[in-house]
Amino acid sequence: MKRLLSAEFLKLIKQSKTYYALGAILIIELLILMTAYFQGSTILDLLLDNLKQSFYFEGNLLNGNLIMYIVLNSLWFNVPLILMIVTSGIVTDEYRYGTMQTVMLQAVDKWKFMAAKYITAVLFTVVVIAFMMLTTFILAYSIFGRGDLVVYLNTLNFFEDADAFQRICYAFASGAVSMVFYCVVSLTLAIFIKEATKTWIAACLFLIITTMLLKVDFVLPVINNFFFPKLIDTWQQFFYNVPDWSAISINTIILILYTLVFAAAGTFIFHKKDIE
Amino acid sequence: MIRTLLIFFLLTTPFVHSQKIDPDLLNIKKRMDSVKQFSASLILDLDVPFINMPTKTAKISYSVGQKMKFSSKDFVMLPKRGLDFSLTEIFKYPFITVERGIEKRNGRSIKVINVIPTGNESELALVTLYMDTKAVRIVQSEIITRKDGAYTLMMNYKLLKDILPGYVEATFAIEKLKIPLNFMGKGTSIDRKKMRSMETKTGKIKMQLNNYIIKY
Repeated sequence: MKRLLSAEFLKLIKQSKTYYALGAILIIELLILMTAYFQGSTILDLLLDNLKQSFYFEGNLLNGNLIMYIVLNSLWFNVPLILMIVTSGIVTDEYRYGTMQTVMLQAVDKWKFMAAKYITAVLFTVVVIAFMMLTTFILAYSIFGRGDLVVYLNTLNFFEDADAFQRICYAFASGAVSMVFYCVVSLTLAIFIKEATKTWIAACLFLIITTMLLKVDFVLPVINNFFFPKLIDTWQQFFYNVPDWSAISINTIILILYTLVFAAAGTFIFHKKDIE
Repeated sequence: MIRTLLIFFLLTTPFVHSQKIDPDLLNIKKRMDSVKQFSASLILDLDVPFINMPTKTAKISYSVGQKMKFSSKDFVMLPKRGLDFSLTEIFKYPFITVERGIEKRNGRSIKVINVIPTGNESELALVTLYMDTKAVRIVQSEIITRKDGAYTLMMNYKLLKDILPGYVEATFAIEKLKIPLNFMGKGTSIDRKKMRSMETKTGKIKMQLNNYIIKY
């Protein structure tokens, strides 16, 4: 298993696609940071407009923490798109270059081979999110400074700098779980479809549908609470004045279970399929 | 008829302008004016139904002839009215006072007066002051402004001799937040019933003032 994992990592490190993806994420981050500054001042004007009548404000709310929150809102659609393209390539490239047959001719367990691919995809996703988190923190705090965070989620919630930093870190961790889910799905889709372009289209479609379903009211509380599109934005829960820790834990556990189900389904199908 | 009216106005107008300002208010103003400079630390608690804000701290400083200054490491929201202990705003433009009577509060006699600005320059429309005439200080004021709404200020003092309050509670009306949908978080739901009931709410800001350094 170790050898399989190191081989998968080597492939990922050696391929230029990985660095293109990291570069693309950095460009997206910079663009979002720039637009977030202007969006941030508009948001603050709107949020604080009717409070200006009664209050003087002392201190700066247009700071790195608000920028980070706006970035968090914008990242979770663009980043999975890039991640899904890269991670699905872990399987589709093997089919494309015919290396799948070569590997399968060796004494390699099919399920171990696929498990190594899933583990690689998960670790790659976590590393990318950590890289993204680190670069956004550095950029946002060095350009815009630190300060209190204001968020509107049914009520206007103010968080002190240290508290805001902690909540943003938790939000990134929760976002990472969602990203892992998307990547595992794209890998499973790659096992089914095999062809890179078709897998990208299917992965994009999955992302778009999931994002659309997030807002749909399914009437039944079970679906509204536990259907996977509803669990994708669990990170937002950290910005309620008092986070509902039990709901966050349940959502995260269920999303991890969905991820495991998709991974198990992919591995099972691959195991059952003949290599053409 | 016109001549009679003219005589009436000529006779009554000087009385209106020479209406006396309440002597107890003048006493309080005189006492307040003896404070040339002060600084204090401030602990702020905001109590507004749709705002969640942690307790904040700030420093305040005042010098005669200057506006009150605030400084804080955090973001703080301070009420526009309520910290004018020197009564500068009231005395800035001409006004008349009307006595409204005496009421008992915690065993103390409190004199109630209305302060009515006579010109249009003042930002204040009407002020009701509740004065502890024996302790020579204001315990409550209700301020109706021309542009910034109405405020009620309750002031508590630590000691009978204290000139500046140790606790101030400002109550004000605040309109509901008007947030366009595209700025709302993904997890934000709209409860129209709740939103309608929140059109105008009463907010409170509770301020504890400690560590006074007063220069007379």
